[in-house]
Amino acid sequence: MSDAATAPAPSSPAPSGAEPILEIESVYKAFGGIHAVSGAGFSIPEGSITALIGPNGAGKTTLFNIVTGFYKPDSGSIRYQGESIYGRRPDVIARRGMVRTFQITKALAAMPVIDNMTLAAARQPGENLLRLIARPRLNHRSEAEVTERALELLATFNLDKKANDYAGTLSGGQRKLLELARALMVQPRLVLLDEPMAGINPTLGRRLLEHMHELRENDGVTFLFVEHDMEVVMNHADEVVVMANGSVVVKGPPEVVRSDERVIDAYLGGGGDRNEPGPEAKLRAAKEERAAASEEPEPPAPDPAEPA
Amino acid sequence: MNSAAASLIGVLPDNLLLGIETDFLTQWQFWISVGILAGIYGIFTLGLQLNVGYTGILNFGQAGFQALGAYAAVIFVVELGINFYIALPLSIIVTIIAGILIGLPSLRLRADYFAIATIAFSEVIRITIQNARDLTGGNQGTISLELDNGIFFNESWLKVSSWMSENLFDPIGLSGSEYLGLPLLVVVWGFLALGAFVLSRLVRSPWGRVLRAVREDEDAARALGKNAFSYKLQSLAIAASLGAVSGWFLVLQQGSVSQEAFEPIWTFIGYAVLVLGGLASFSGVLFGSFIFWAVYEGMRAMDLPLTSDKDAALRFVLVGVILIALMALRPQGVLGKKEEMVLGE
Repeated sequence: MSDAATAPAPSSPAPSGAEPILEIESVYKAFGGIHAVSGAGFSIPEGSITALIGPNGAGKTTLFNIVTGFYKPDSGSIRYQGESIYGRRPDVIARRGMVRTFQITKALAAMPVIDNMTLAAARQPGENLLRLIARPRLNHRSEAEVTERALELLATFNLDKKANDYAGTLSGGQRKLLELARALMVQPRLVLLDEPMAGINPTLGRRLLEHMHELRENDGVTFLFVEHDMEVVMNHADEVVVMANGSVVVKGPPEVVRSDERVIDAYLGGGGDRNEPGPEAKLRAAKEERAAASEEPEPPAPDPAEPA
Repeated sequence: MNSAAASLIGVLPDNLLLGIETDFLTQWQFWISVGILAGIYGIFTLGLQLNVGYTGILNFGQAGFQALGAYAAVIFVVELGINFYIALPLSIIVTIIAGILIGLPSLRLRADYFAIATIAFSEVIRITIQNARDLTGGNQGTISLELDNGIFFNESWLKVSSWMSENLFDPIGLSGSEYLGLPLLVVVWGFLALGAFVLSRLVRSPWGRVLRAVREDEDAARALGKNAFSYKLQSLAIAASLGAVSGWFLVLQQGSVSQEAFEPIWTFIGYAVLVLGGLASFSGVLFGSFIFWAVYEGMRAMDLPLTSDKDAALRFVLVGVILIALMALRPQGVLGKKEEMVLGE
């Protein structure tokens, strides 16, 4: 909160002196015999933008679900703003200012866009049935305020013209923007985005990234995002956390992570449990691009696809 | 076969299978009784609309809540001697508690399992009523509506009813046995209209916004800091209390209570009304209930050479056919919103 004034410029490295807003330590989660997350741990400083990458099946989304309370972890420690949120309910965690988006967008299609937005505002008196009936005017005031804030946010995301349409009429990219805008209605301190770029066109994607940087700069909001687009990861994150097989392989600034052999192993070696040309190709492309720009050696030749 | 019907199908021979008797369709008494039933099951279905149309929970136990409300009110008055007007709100409280008790363990289940749990609950209530002879009058299920000292369950209501007849309806010429049901009709539709009005305001409030979010995607609501479980429980409790209200009116209309009136089929009649009127529309409930009961009761006009229970079964079949046709032609119901059609997960 007080960090807003001291928020770093978008391209500056992670503020190493900042307090960690989220600390994850040796979290374990198994589904039956499958260890989806086994001992993952990292912390992210307040006001930073951190990318979480790794091949499919690395446990990124599972970790997201654990941190936000949707899954109960088997063991470990999760602290948010210095307090343990281990095993808390998702709504309790969200009310503390940590909100998330989902890999498959959860725009509420049967509700108008504006209702999607106003829904998300925290501490509305009209959400409590007794207070709604007892203090109708308090509710009216709050509604006016919340609606105004929602319309402002929609305007910054170029969705204001759609305010009264059902969210089901929005395009996939617009739904992603709506989901981010809606998450911001909660006035979060930490936003977790699960593949924000997947399936949206580059223009909308750029806008989404711009918003992310603006929010970090202006309000000191911290971001943690899962992403497969390596260009986005390398150009927009202060720090990159690489997961494979349920634990963290490497953590560091993008320029360090991109040249780490273990990362390439994670993607190309035994890390993934499936053939997965998308991220590999992207990583290769990113590495080649970088290689072309700098004097570092060429990345290793891509392995042939693993036998099934 | 009377002359009116004969003239209607004049050209047809007398021994035709399908006869039609239409005299009663022009009588006030018939329409008043249709109106009362439509009102009672309208109140019943308002609760289902809140659950199914706005919260996305499949409450299949509404008849159980109705039974609980009806029997609790009667037992409070007749067995415990509690004042009629205190017994009514008390029966609502009993039903709400039952709603919360059934909701606490089962609302965490997926929508379809919740539906099974609620239908089981309503049968537990009904079969208990059927067998708890000391309390409810046993297998016939018909509780004695008369106190030992000669006070009837509905005595207070009959006072109100006759006052209304004398002061409101007699002066405008609606007197006589034909209009006996008019006071109940007015009170039931008053409740129904008020209920529909209040609920339609509520679902547009911030509270209702959370319900509508939960209806579509519980996880999205939880990710935004809303306690989805609590809202589902509140929705169920409100539906239960509406079920209780419809239960009292059913007792007052029938003049007696029998467990048969609370078989699961009546919950599904409520669903028929819901689907007919349209999901996510409270005015649809009013409309759907009236149309349903007019058609259902109007089918008595069919004069078939069948035994009475076959006749009754055939009416259900025809209701089914109408519903299937409606699903094919207008799945959102007559007044429903297609954009808001969301069911379960």
